Amino acid sequence: MPARILIIEDNPTNMELMVYLLHAYGHTAMLAPDGHAGIALAASALPDLIVCDIHLPGMDGYGVVRHIKRQPALAGIPIVAVTALVMVGDRENLLAAGFDGYIGKPIEPTTFIPQLEVFLHADLHALIDPTARTHGDHPDR
Amino acid sequence: MAAFKVKVHMSKDFDRMALDEAPDAVIIISLQGVVQHWSAGAQVMFGYTRAEAIGQSLHDLIVPPDRVEEECRIRQAIVDRGTCNHESLRQRKDRTLIYVDVTGKAVSDARGVCEFILFCKKDITLMKVSRDAKMLDAKFGNLLESMPDGIVMVNSSGRIVLANSQAAHLFGYGAKDLCGELIEILLPPRYHGARIGHRSQSVSQSRTRVMGAGLDLYGVRKDGTEFPVEISLSPLETEDGLLVSSAIRDISDRKRIELALQEKNDELENANLAKDRFLAGMSHELRTPLNAIIGFTGTLLMRLPGPLTGDQDNQLKTIQTSARHLLSLINDLLDLARIESGKVELVLEQVVCQHIISQLAETLGPLAAQKGLAFRCEVPTTEIVLHTDLRALRQILINLINNAIKFTETGEVVLHLSEREAAGNRWVDVSVIDSGVGIQPADQAKLFHAFSQIDASSTRRFEGTGLGLYLSRTLAGLINGELSFDSEFGAGSAFTLSLRAD
Repeated sequence: MPARILIIEDNPTNMELMVYLLHAYGHTAMLAPDGHAGIALAASALPDLIVCDIHLPGMDGYGVVRHIKRQPALAGIPIVAVTALVMVGDRENLLAAGFDGYIGKPIEPTTFIPQLEVFLHADLHALIDPTARTHGDHPDR
Repeated sequence: MAAFKVKVHMSKDFDRMALDEAPDAVIIISLQGVVQHWSAGAQVMFGYTRAEAIGQSLHDLIVPPDRVEEECRIRQAIVDRGTCNHESLRQRKDRTLIYVDVTGKAVSDARGVCEFILFCKKDITLMKVSRDAKMLDAKFGNLLESMPDGIVMVNSSGRIVLANSQAAHLFGYGAKDLCGELIEILLPPRYHGARIGHRSQSVSQSRTRVMGAGLDLYGVRKDGTEFPVEISLSPLETEDGLLVSSAIRDISDRKRIELALQEKNDELENANLAKDRFLAGMSHELRTPLNAIIGFTGTLLMRLPGPLTGDQDNQLKTIQTSARHLLSLINDLLDLARIESGKVELVLEQVVCQHIISQLAETLGPLAAQKGLAFRCEVPTTEIVLHTDLRALRQILINLINNAIKFTETGEVVLHLSEREAAGNRWVDVSVIDSGVGIQPADQAKLFHAFSQIDASSTRRFEGTGLGLYLSRTLAGLINGELSFDSEFGAGSAFTLSLRAD
């Protein structure tokens, strides 16, 4: 089932990649280049899922998730951090801050959209993506 | 001739003069202890004017708190026996202590009833100092001169009775200058009040205190400059009373070194923080472009934009492999930086070796299958349990298995688990055995060095970071393991991780 997915990402190339993949899987993408624009768009468009970078101009990803989870109308929207912050502790910090999921960059294009789709099903929200790993625990090396 | 000149001054009151001009303190008190008469000598000796003293309790004026009982006993003896002589400590108005030789006499009225007590007090502080000094000289001789530390001994009145030449030198005085001085001249003025006020008690209550056990202390030299000292105090009981002996050491050098070390430490800590920030920043910045490279190479290879020719497919795969190689390199470097900065916290837990081996076979077996290699596990049926860090163990084995697959073109990769006894210890060996290219004897020595990937061909057929084995051995060391290998060039290699099972 196609979904409406909000992407908050300041790097145009990374944005283009995610939008391309979402479209390829039949989803609709809404774009915000920074935290404030992202929150505004979330409130007006009420997407099915939010994909959020962490290093953002103005309000960063931590600010975004705090804001989203505080508003009853938005708190139910799953929000997944897609970030190049992959040092030890980053993943735990982000999940503790309220993110429903965590995917480290670089993303794996063949599995990225299926990883996101997990969060589209309400009953699977609690399931944190098992393939996303913090740096230092890469089974593929 | 002189007799002619003798003239008796009938007008002078010699009784009065004798009383007032005597250098000794002449004091008369009532039986209740209230001062009735306070001679000029008393004013000089104790520092109170006549007006300040008359009508006051003698206790309050000159008797240190811990000597009150003794004073009462003496007065009773005077009343009972008419006279008494003794030697004791009394306090001046400025709260310094002096030794006095006291003669007391009961003064009775016409009926023989004791009315007043008359005291004649002589200041023998300096006499006592020289007596104590002589006594100490007889006791220790030159012994204290051979001590490396400055030795200063103080008697109950707070006067220095002995200072060895090291102490005199330390404080900038001549060899004999210190004897008889108040100990306060060696201390910064800010400590004076407290010390003088409590001298009488502090001497009688002093206990042995070792060097460095106290707070930061300072001494003051003759020229007024201060320097940090370490002092150890010990009471010294003598037949002439209690002395306090102190050993004093100038710790300026040590303080300076400590300060320098502290500064160096702060500097290193800052440098370390800067390094951590740099590594985190580097990791973040390198991943951002890699995300686009790996991502769009992936979309092309997924043929999302359209079909590919055989050459396009091959070349895109090369880009993908190279980008992943770059990513592994970044990850390995970050791991190494983390291990070498001591930041890795081990989490020890019970690990069933068979479980981890079957998990690894499941994850990495398909990789071997892609190359047409057999992947086998040889494990004993009895469970082998280790108490170790699972993550480090996994990472080492993943590295070894990846290497085995990478360097083997035909044949198999085998995971072998076994247990053995050596020198009374139980060891668990996990071996990764391949039928690959093997390692030339000449290359074996540098195998575990960083960036020393041995590649027989100049075409670099085997991609790798060159950090894998170095990282694995470092990790093995971290969990008290050993990484060894056995290889026959052209026939294959076996890498073994050995861990203590107890």
